[in-house]
Amino acid sequence: MDKMLDEALNAQAETVVGPSVKIQGDLNSEGNIRVEGQVTGKINTSQSVFVNKDAHIIADVLAGNAVVGGEIKGNLKISGHLILQGSAKVSGDISCSVLRVEDGAQFTGKCSMGGMVAGNGNGKKPAHTEEELVEEE
Amino acid sequence: MDKFEKLQVQLQGYLSEFKISGEISRVTPLRSIADLVDTASQRGAKTLVACGNDETFNLMLAALKGRDFTLGFIPLDENSYLSTILGINNLFMGVKTVAARRIERMDLARIAGNYFISYLEFGIMSQNLKSLNWWNSFKILSGAPQKFDIRIDDSYTLSIEALGGLVANTRSTSCNAETIANPTDSLLDLLILEKLSRTEILRYKSDIAGGCLEKAPKTTVIKCKKVQFLEPRGFNLTMLGRVIAKFPATVEIIPQRLKMIVGKSRTF
Repeated sequence: MDKMLDEALNAQAETVVGPSVKIQGDLNSEGNIRVEGQVTGKINTSQSVFVNKDAHIIADVLAGNAVVGGEIKGNLKISGHLILQGSAKVSGDISCSVLRVEDGAQFTGKCSMGGMVAGNGNGKKPAHTEEELVEEE
Repeated sequence: MDKFEKLQVQLQGYLSEFKISGEISRVTPLRSIADLVDTASQRGAKTLVACGNDETFNLMLAALKGRDFTLGFIPLDENSYLSTILGINNLFMGVKTVAARRIERMDLARIAGNYFISYLEFGIMSQNLKSLNWWNSFKILSGAPQKFDIRIDDSYTLSIEALGGLVANTRSTSCNAETIANPTDSLLDLLILEKLSRTEILRYKSDIAGGCLEKAPKTTVIKCKKVQFLEPRGFNLTMLGRVIAKFPATVEIIPQRLKMIVGKSRTF
């Protein structure tokens, strides 16, 4: 993991959505966002998004970096690193520069990385397997 | 000679010592703070200095009605919350700070025609947890959560079951969280406390009583420019124990609106 991502992951979240929170609408922030509750709508930040294990998101996510441990139904457009943790369930298309998928993560959708497009949600044979898209540290 | 008169004599001594000139007006039953501000405005005053407690300053803020003054504060109350925020520890420091005239631009928060630089509380935070004994504060923190609906920046609505919270422009606490409640960032900070376990209450009780809600687990933290408290209707929003408004109510930030004379040891 590069130094910048390490710093981003260790930085304190500016916006924290607690576990009993339900948000409906567009959540925009200038800083890091940590989601532990539910969001329906859209999430937008130039910084990092952390989706905790028990979080449920039905929204498109636009962010600099993202670490996903919860459930997302929506498209992820990440300009930097995307980490799908073992508990992650993502249903939607992914776009990012660097992708890491941990054991147990579930992903249904298309994936594009620097022009490459891989799909596994349309019944066609994917151009690349998930293992090929994983970038090891 | 009562305590107030002693302080007045002391104040006048310090004012001459630091060669601070200007008109001194006292509040009387017939002359309210609003009247004094109006008179000062008519006479072309550029700087207003409130001498008294936090309430005196808050009333002066409310009386400004959008007029452009440089503001100062000299605390006559040892427990003044604002004096800690502004870095003015006592009467002497207050006068010294006014003499030095270190002016900072600060954000001003507005709710229902009232202006404030500190924070508003709701739910359990409205009850002065600091002054309660151990058992009573534990009992309050163990209470049932309430459902709140809050709209943020006209962009999204937040529904939460929580004990209470605060919306802050600035605060004086030693929370060591520079990013929260900074009165120069043009943002409000909404902190909402969820129900905690008994162990968590024991562990974070003093942080919560001190307003450092972000230290407790599961606390929601939102930075925004506008907060609309929608539900439950009729719920109190308080400032230092005084009810300022009831739900539904809107709190907005006016960036860099205030020219404030501040001390070196201010908290922002």
